[in-house]
Amino acid sequence: MDRLLYISTIGAAHIERAQTLHAHNLANVSTTGFRADFAQAQSRWVDTPDGYPARVYGITESPGTDHSQGMLRATGRDLDVAVEGSGFLAVQLPDGSEGYTRAGDLGVDSLGRLVSGEGFPVLGEGGPIALPPFTQIFIGGDGGITVQPEGQGPEALVQVDRLKLVDPDPSEVAKDATGLFRRTDGVPAPADPDVKVVSGFLEDSNVNAVNELTEIISLARQFELEVRMMQMAETMDESATTLVRVS
Amino acid sequence: MQSALWVSKTGLAAQDTALRTISNNLANVSTVGFKRDRAVFQDLMYQIDQQPGGMTSQDTTNPSGLQLGVGVRVAGTQKEFTEGALQTTGQSLDLAIEGRGFFQITMPDGTLGYSRSGTFQLDQDGRIVTAQGFPVEPAINVPADANEITIGVDGTVSVTIPGSATPSQLGNLQLVSFMNPAGLEAVGSNLYRETAASGTPQQGTPGENGLGQVVQGALETSNVSVVEELVNMVATQRAYEMNSRVISSADQMLQFLTQNV
Repeated sequence: MDRLLYISTIGAAHIERAQTLHAHNLANVSTTGFRADFAQAQSRWVDTPDGYPARVYGITESPGTDHSQGMLRATGRDLDVAVEGSGFLAVQLPDGSEGYTRAGDLGVDSLGRLVSGEGFPVLGEGGPIALPPFTQIFIGGDGGITVQPEGQGPEALVQVDRLKLVDPDPSEVAKDATGLFRRTDGVPAPADPDVKVVSGFLEDSNVNAVNELTEIISLARQFELEVRMMQMAETMDESATTLVRVS
Repeated sequence: MQSALWVSKTGLAAQDTALRTISNNLANVSTVGFKRDRAVFQDLMYQIDQQPGGMTSQDTTNPSGLQLGVGVRVAGTQKEFTEGALQTTGQSLDLAIEGRGFFQITMPDGTLGYSRSGTFQLDQDGRIVTAQGFPVEPAINVPADANEITIGVDGTVSVTIPGSATPSQLGNLQLVSFMNPAGLEAVGSNLYRETAASGTPQQGTPGENGLGQVVQGALETSNVSVVEELVNMVATQRAYEMNSRVISSADQMLQFLTQNV
């Protein structure tokens, strides 16, 4: 069978994967703090015994995540925080390890712990942050949390803790299977005093919808090219059989 | 089959939920004591098709892998308990809470419900009840010959009785607060129920321990911001369109494949 057919088939299959990746980005166009994934095609040479490298497969890879800043959207809610510039909020995962997220739609659970939108405890300077019953909460630019305890006036503000804000190098973190960022070496990142947050805002997804749609259209056309090549392989096979047919 | 189809389907479903939340908020723009919802999105899990760092030979590894996300999900809706504006009505049984706290309402099944809507009335027995006829807790009975009902900022209910110079005190309205009001379950009719996520209710006198004061003759309006909801609606509609565009694109690819091979 003609090898051309297999090259086109693998090309088409990998275009479908890239299509899925872009569809995922577009599906998350309004997910708070979402970071878009990149897709790239890479060529894989196949070494043949006769030493003539005619076959190059195209495969899809995701070399990483777009860490550019998403737009900040004003919500006016005291417990909404957005990270300005690079950096992450740190949350504690059920297995005790640290995860990093840009989604700052924080809340308070029934035990008074500060939790992320997914329900994971948010980490402070010394572990999860526990809040006393409060009437007002303020989160400062450096992540410092101040509350006005229940039953006391605005003169009795208490500094509770400070959000653990980290700024690992983008090459050191990767998304895990749940979409949270983790350090690839498993070591918790140290707190970075330079990371700034702003309260009352949420960061929108950084997906560029126009980009993703254009990619999807362009991939659809590439897919058609691959299918044409499959047709071509079929035509060539047909001509070969016609040539050698004994009439 | 094309997995992009299913991924975009999750996008459509999420935007659909967002639109439903927005329309519910807009429909309740003039509901007394209504608190707006917001849909919270999260990305769904990732399938690792090709592990980054996997071995490609004895001494080489994959520099980058292929992780394919499978879309988006609505993690839930979050009630926003910011305060609505107070509207003066002059009705003696219209109450608003200025600050934190909920009124306690005895539900027909005997359990307690919680509400911020203070459109109270009297029923045929003189009890103070909500618009649905559910009595407030602690129950307060107003005598039939009472003239004027006065409710103080600390929840003290008193009336003047003809022939008596001093007002007689009928009882005290108590408010409750929750550690996490966003965790309350909204059951409709402006009522909420306690859940494991909300924490247990802390009862107290209005104006003390961080609870808000009771304002007589005023109602708390809905905290829905019409402009914000309309802007959200535009964004939701466009996101919906883009996701459906991906579906039609994936469909065309499959069509091309089936027609030409």
